[in-house]
Amino acid sequence: MRAFPFARVALLGFAATSLAGCKYWKSEERVTVQTGYRGTAMEHTVKKSDVMAQFAATSVPEPVPAAGPSPPGPLPWKNVQVLNDISVAEFNRTMVAMSTWVAGTGNCAYCHNVVNFASDTANDGKPLYTKLTARRMLQMTRHINGQYGQHVANTGVTCYTCHRGKPVPQGMWTFGDGNQYQRHYLDRDGARVISHEMAPSNANRSSVKQTEWTYALMISMSNSLGVNCTYCHNTRQFASWQEAPPARVKALHGINMVRDVNTNFVAPLVSILPQVRLGEMGDAPKVQCQTCHQGVYKPLYGAKMAKDYPAIWGRPDWAGTPFPGLYQTAADSTQKVADAAATAPVGGR
Amino acid sequence: MLEYQNIFTRVQVRTQPEAGLPIPDSLMGPGRLGKGMFGPLAYWAGKFGDAQIGPIYLGTTGLLSLMFGFLAFEIVGLNMWASVGWDPVEFVRRLPWLSLEPPPPQYGLKIPPLNQGGWYLLAGACLSLSIVLWWIRTYRRARALGMGTHLPWAFASAIFLFSAFYFQPLLVGSWSEMVPFGIFPHLDWTSAFSIRYGNLYYNPFHALSIVFLYGSAVLFAMHGATILAVSRLGGEREIEQITDRGTASERAALFWRWVMGFNATMESIHRWAWWFAVLTTFTGGIGIILTGTVVDNWYLWGVKHGLVAPYPAQNVLTEEQKLELRGRYQGTSPDSFPMYNVPVTPAAPAMPDSMLPGMTPAPGAAPSATPSATPSATPPAATTPPGGTK
Repeated sequence: MRAFPFARVALLGFAATSLAGCKYWKSEERVTVQTGYRGTAMEHTVKKSDVMAQFAATSVPEPVPAAGPSPPGPLPWKNVQVLNDISVAEFNRTMVAMSTWVAGTGNCAYCHNVVNFASDTANDGKPLYTKLTARRMLQMTRHINGQYGQHVANTGVTCYTCHRGKPVPQGMWTFGDGNQYQRHYLDRDGARVISHEMAPSNANRSSVKQTEWTYALMISMSNSLGVNCTYCHNTRQFASWQEAPPARVKALHGINMVRDVNTNFVAPLVSILPQVRLGEMGDAPKVQCQTCHQGVYKPLYGAKMAKDYPAIWGRPDWAGTPFPGLYQTAADSTQKVADAAATAPVGGR
Repeated sequence: MLEYQNIFTRVQVRTQPEAGLPIPDSLMGPGRLGKGMFGPLAYWAGKFGDAQIGPIYLGTTGLLSLMFGFLAFEIVGLNMWASVGWDPVEFVRRLPWLSLEPPPPQYGLKIPPLNQGGWYLLAGACLSLSIVLWWIRTYRRARALGMGTHLPWAFASAIFLFSAFYFQPLLVGSWSEMVPFGIFPHLDWTSAFSIRYGNLYYNPFHALSIVFLYGSAVLFAMHGATILAVSRLGGEREIEQITDRGTASERAALFWRWVMGFNATMESIHRWAWWFAVLTTFTGGIGIILTGTVVDNWYLWGVKHGLVAPYPAQNVLTEEQKLELRGRYQGTSPDSFPMYNVPVTPAAPAMPDSMLPGMTPAPGAAPSATPSATPSATPPAATTPPGGTK
């Protein structure tokens, strides 16, 4: 019988795999965050280099310098329909910021008729759809910051949260055959498939195929946030709220917010957007989790941009009086944030 | 005999091919194809089994089985190809994700159009027919050779699990429950099936099936290793050793008695293997048939029967909040399955002068401020787990 170096080969193989294994598992490359009860694998694992690369690729614009004093007297604007409750200096400052956030060019002419800034039409009488859209989006931003504190907290959103310097944000979707599940982000109701009772009944006739639709919806959220199922669910029972991490409650508010925003702000833009911006079924592009989150559990890694721009903050406890300027908003919670930010370096990640 | 001390077979026979017992020709031509040979593939065949290849017996049922099997394969393949617009490159590139899907839920058990799952049902029928014909073939071949019918009945257990994926949708009343044809799609289905029915891991028959499956692997390893280990003493002649126990059998038996105080015999080990294999698919099939028919949420079944380990709640909810957070089911009654059709949005209306204050919602969007989308009462605020997460 020929001697075959089994032992040597096996030893080599073992050494190689254990070395590779150590490098993979023991290094600081893997970071695991516990999200639930111990021993239940309720955890979120990330590759450090991936997160660092993504973090480095996420840029947050420097805040525009604080607004100076405004001239006294009534506001001089014509046809200002949303930002008509802030000071002149703050208004100008906000406009400057928006031109970089959205148009990406710092160019007023992306939205405005530079001959007549108050006009909603170009010189040839054609409507400026960009300006009309921006106006509606400002209302939306104030609505989100004011009504959805349970989701956006004190961080709030700005134009930049979605736009990132591009006129059309990432992750917009329109009707199509391949993305039917995204209708849940607009008007499709009822994504639940797991029964609340042990025995079968006609209360829940959801099929396995419908479960796959819900599954697709959930995976789109998972991809949007760069997290796995256990970030929001205890996967031994997806339906259970008691066993779910608190992030699931936050996500529910987010889903409600997305549906509200799509229904009342984004989808209706179909009436003003030009054909080139519409989907193949002629509908306006709509938002989803990806639009703000862009692969991160907190958009822009939680950078607090809105605090620097009282014009888009629009808190419900704000009386509508013109904001005096940067860092001096009416809301208590905002004040705290502002105090913290005033001592921290700019950017506030 | 030392030649057997290897993980590959090292003894290869070259002789006159063994033709086997004479059999009558079948209705569809000669019963046996070829006379058997040690052809160019014989060396590799001999590495893994018998070096002789052929003769092969196809017969009526075998031929029909292959035909229906081919038909099913073609229906699935052509539908997949059609789904990428007959593009050969895309077909290859996306093959793992391509799928022939069962009918959507709104059809229930009705016969759908071909492109709405009709092809799926046809392919399924052809595949089932093919499998049943192949079963008949194994039964008849076993009988023709004067063998027992252990093999067909073991195969029947596997077919029982396969057909459970028909019985369960029939009992639940919807074709849409069935398993799609596709590489990843059928894996996605297993995941979705488990989620829909509240986690199949709490299904005791699923658990039994896993026990027998893993048990089969352990038994296979133990038996294979034991026989190889005593082959230098003639242990591979298992059948002779059943009736005429030799030193190989004695040593193997003694080994296991030393190791675990008990041993199977040369004969009974094969009963162990047969039963474990048969029970894997048999218990699995029972588990599938009970799902959605007797139990709709296996997790809750597990809670009721003390199977579920209690962990501290991460969100403390009142009964009212629980009710509110339930949301709505995807399909609330057999007639209310959502039609996943793209709405037709009329051409954009004329531009309004101003966007304020009364901007009208688009025709394609939901009618009003989505009362169902935004629950009237505020869901509970998230609470941190009470201490127990470290």
